[in-house]
Amino acid sequence: MMNELLTRVRFFFSRRRPAELDEELQFHVEQATQANLAAGMTPHEARRQALVEFGGVERTRDQCHEERPGWWIGTVWQDARYALRGFRRNPVFTVAVIATLALGIGATTAVFSVVDRILFRALPYAHDDRLVSVGLTAPIIPQEFMLGGSYYDWRDNQKPFEAFTSETGVGECDLTERNPARLSCASVEANFLPTFGVSPILGRNFLPEEDRPNGPKVALISYALWDAHYGRDPAIVNKLVDIDGKQVRVIGVLPRDFEMPTLQAADVLVPQALDEAEQRKADPGRVMYAFARLKPGLTIAQAQAALEPVFNYSLSLAPPQFRKEVHLRVRSVRDRQVQDVRLVAWILLGAVLAVLLIACANVASLLLARAAARERELAVRSVLGASRGRLVRQTLTETLLLALAGAAAGSILAEILLRIFIAIAPAGIPFLAKAHLDLRIILFTVLLSLLCGTVFGVLPALQKPRPAALAARSMHSGAHAWLRRCLVVSQIAISMVLLTGAALLLRSFSNLAQQDMGLQTRGVLAVHIPLPGYRYTTNQKRMDFFLAAETALRRLPGVQTVAMSDSLPPGGTHGEQIYTNIAIAGKPRSTGGTGGMVAWRWVTPAYFSSLGIPIVRGQEFTEAQRTSTERFLILSSLLASRLFGNENPIGQRVQPVPNGPWYTVLGVTANAKNAGLTGGDEPEFYQLRRNFAEDWNSSAVLLLKTSLVPAAAAPWVRSQIAQIDPTVPVEIETLSQGVSKLADRPRFEAALLGFFASCGLLMAVIGLYGVIAFVATQRTQEIGVRMALGATRLDILRLIAGEGVRLILLGGILGLAAALALAHWLKSLLFNVGPHDPASYALVALLLALVALAATLIPARAAMKVEPVVALRYE
Amino acid sequence: MPPSTDLLQGTLDLLILQTLAPGPMHGWGVAQRIQQISKDVLQIGQGSLYPALHRLEYKGWIRADWGNSDNNRRAKFYSLTRTGKKRLETELKTWERLSSAVALVLGRVPEASA
Repeated sequence: MMNELLTRVRFFFSRRRPAELDEELQFHVEQATQANLAAGMTPHEARRQALVEFGGVERTRDQCHEERPGWWIGTVWQDARYALRGFRRNPVFTVAVIATLALGIGATTAVFSVVDRILFRALPYAHDDRLVSVGLTAPIIPQEFMLGGSYYDWRDNQKPFEAFTSETGVGECDLTERNPARLSCASVEANFLPTFGVSPILGRNFLPEEDRPNGPKVALISYALWDAHYGRDPAIVNKLVDIDGKQVRVIGVLPRDFEMPTLQAADVLVPQALDEAEQRKADPGRVMYAFARLKPGLTIAQAQAALEPVFNYSLSLAPPQFRKEVHLRVRSVRDRQVQDVRLVAWILLGAVLAVLLIACANVASLLLARAAARERELAVRSVLGASRGRLVRQTLTETLLLALAGAAAGSILAEILLRIFIAIAPAGIPFLAKAHLDLRIILFTVLLSLLCGTVFGVLPALQKPRPAALAARSMHSGAHAWLRRCLVVSQIAISMVLLTGAALLLRSFSNLAQQDMGLQTRGVLAVHIPLPGYRYTTNQKRMDFFLAAETALRRLPGVQTVAMSDSLPPGGTHGEQIYTNIAIAGKPRSTGGTGGMVAWRWVTPAYFSSLGIPIVRGQEFTEAQRTSTERFLILSSLLASRLFGNENPIGQRVQPVPNGPWYTVLGVTANAKNAGLTGGDEPEFYQLRRNFAEDWNSSAVLLLKTSLVPAAAAPWVRSQIAQIDPTVPVEIETLSQGVSKLADRPRFEAALLGFFASCGLLMAVIGLYGVIAFVATQRTQEIGVRMALGATRLDILRLIAGEGVRLILLGGILGLAAALALAHWLKSLLFNVGPHDPASYALVALLLALVALAATLIPARAAMKVEPVVALRYE
Repeated sequence: MPPSTDLLQGTLDLLILQTLAPGPMHGWGVAQRIQQISKDVLQIGQGSLYPALHRLEYKGWIRADWGNSDNNRRAKFYSLTRTGKKRLETELKTWERLSSAVALVLGRVPEASA
């Protein structure tokens, strides 16, 4: 075996002179002549006979040559050169195929790179398939959570988990040493990292005694912080650093790929150091987020069932009005991370796969058309002695070359698309910033396109070219035409599905953008000033700063009003509380359920005029009331009607929080959006923020109503703030920008799906055009005959266009059915438009019909204008 | 020339190897010898012979050397290599097994063994 291989290798490299073979053959003829002479022929006759017997030399020479190892490599090169010549002769075909492939490969790769981490890639934890998030759901907190009072009961009595841990959230903290920096610190239980199977790359994990109140102050730092702040100095372990003014010992460095299961950024991990005994007694205790590792073999559903007893026990301790609205939730960490993005990711993936399908169909269709056009050429080559294998190899070489070119262009396109995605994507799509092109995915799409190219490129070459194809006026093979029609119908159908999806999202987006929010965002600047907590330690300091800022900004020219609030509508976080906690003087407290959530804000009197929220009843706050000892609030219409029905709310006394202060209702405003762009309106009340420190337990944002353009106002605002405190960061944006940001997600979704749908439509239309143009050319002669026999040009138009119309109708109806069936997946992404919105469907059908008809009419018109005499002589 | 090589693809290689077993021989000689021994039944045309010889050479079963023929003409002589000899033995065994099996099927066993 080895010998044989070596011999082959030797012959592969050693060239043999062709003369040797000729000499050998020459010798053979001479010997034959000698033999004939010996048999008694004349010399002339002997030589003639020998030559006759010998036969043709060329073929022997070729065959001997073909026996040579590595002979086929030469033919591949030959095929490749032949293919390249063919491409140069037919640039439209070549560009169309490569562009289609590039689009399919590029879009699929880019989208897959984005959704891979969301949907498929393993989390950076050991046993990531067994990690779950455990907790209660209630209206008050969007994610499942636990309370200190019940967490320890669950931890001690649960059965389905082999590890159970918690964290108490990520907060801002300050590194207060020579290089101060604002960081985020996560507080975790001591067994947090072991539960996730994460070990520090340097140093050690927390010890149990460090996770106790007044235990030693220790911290683990992230790889990024270690890198950026400490130059990856291993000596950081056991060093003391200042966090929020306290000395903390660094005990280790986290792995580079570490991330919190909540995906919150965390530069520092500290022990949460809760007092277990105190928490057990507390009601309700600290809010905690619990994570656990399932015992091997258990499913999430089984775990949930096994937790029911402890859950019911905890529920029995809760106030009765909560019981109905609190549920148990166990879900995988991945589900908690990706939330509603999962659906978007699947929809994008589906859309891009549909585009890939259309692209494949287009490539197949183009290759089939080329094969049909080349049938005659293949027949000629076959007759001239090319074997079928040789013809297949030739076609395969062409397909491979096209696929490689398409893959190269596709990879570049994928990189560009990915950068665009990252640039236009809204915040809140996890992992997007870290997305990068995945070689495996490029490989996969290239293989797929190779496959569809090969199948459709080589299929026609496999059939032995029919001798009939040699005759110039042959009918082209019917099977290919049928296949191409199928491909076009499926392309139209898939485009229809994509287009309806895009149309629905676009309509939803425009509904979102044009809705009446109940407030005026034009000309309003929002100035955020996050005060560093370690310097602004008291309410008084905070209030002094903001009151000074308010006064300073009022002095600016062109500023009409300056208002302050602690949060901004229509989205974003704001104060929230349970409806049934609100008490009205002289009325019994309502019972039964929580009554849902109520939004509230601290505002100054100018808030309503700045945002153009009209007062529909009663009065606005006045400047004088800011120094009043009495407390005032204003209700939204929704809350007023819920609390008081038809009674007059003005002058009533209301206590929003049990045991809290009482407020006097001063007025009622119109409803303004306060639960994001898509959310329904929550009932809301506004508390007047007076100039007393007790009202300033939270930060503030300044609202400027101004006629100035933001770019002109910003430097003035900054200089005014800098005069009060030059070190605080100032963030300025227009309120319209803030609102527009809320629409980023729907805009992103609509834009992407719209892009894919347009790509799909374009390719489908090219495919349709190709088929009709092909049919028209094929039937040129027939058209000539028909016209000679008296058919009008309109008849011809009908003949050719009818073909296209049939394909469009069939594809359109199939697509419509598929779209109707698939649309319910979009339901949760749509705003004020149903998944079966007739207008969207009608619009898409109309658009598709118009574009497709245009693609049909161009070649049909060309066929109509054919001169009968020319057509009869065609070819 | 009938393209009998299709049928005799493996067989031709075997015949050539067997013919070369006694000693080196040039192409013409191989063809003549096969024709002679088969009493003119097997006529190997050059169109099959030379590609086969080259194929065997590329496989390393036979070796080609330039030498002088009986009438002092420069000619290419083929001889079996060591691999070729081994190959011939296995090919012969395979052939015997195959031909006796075919004979069995055709019901000619007694005659063949007689």
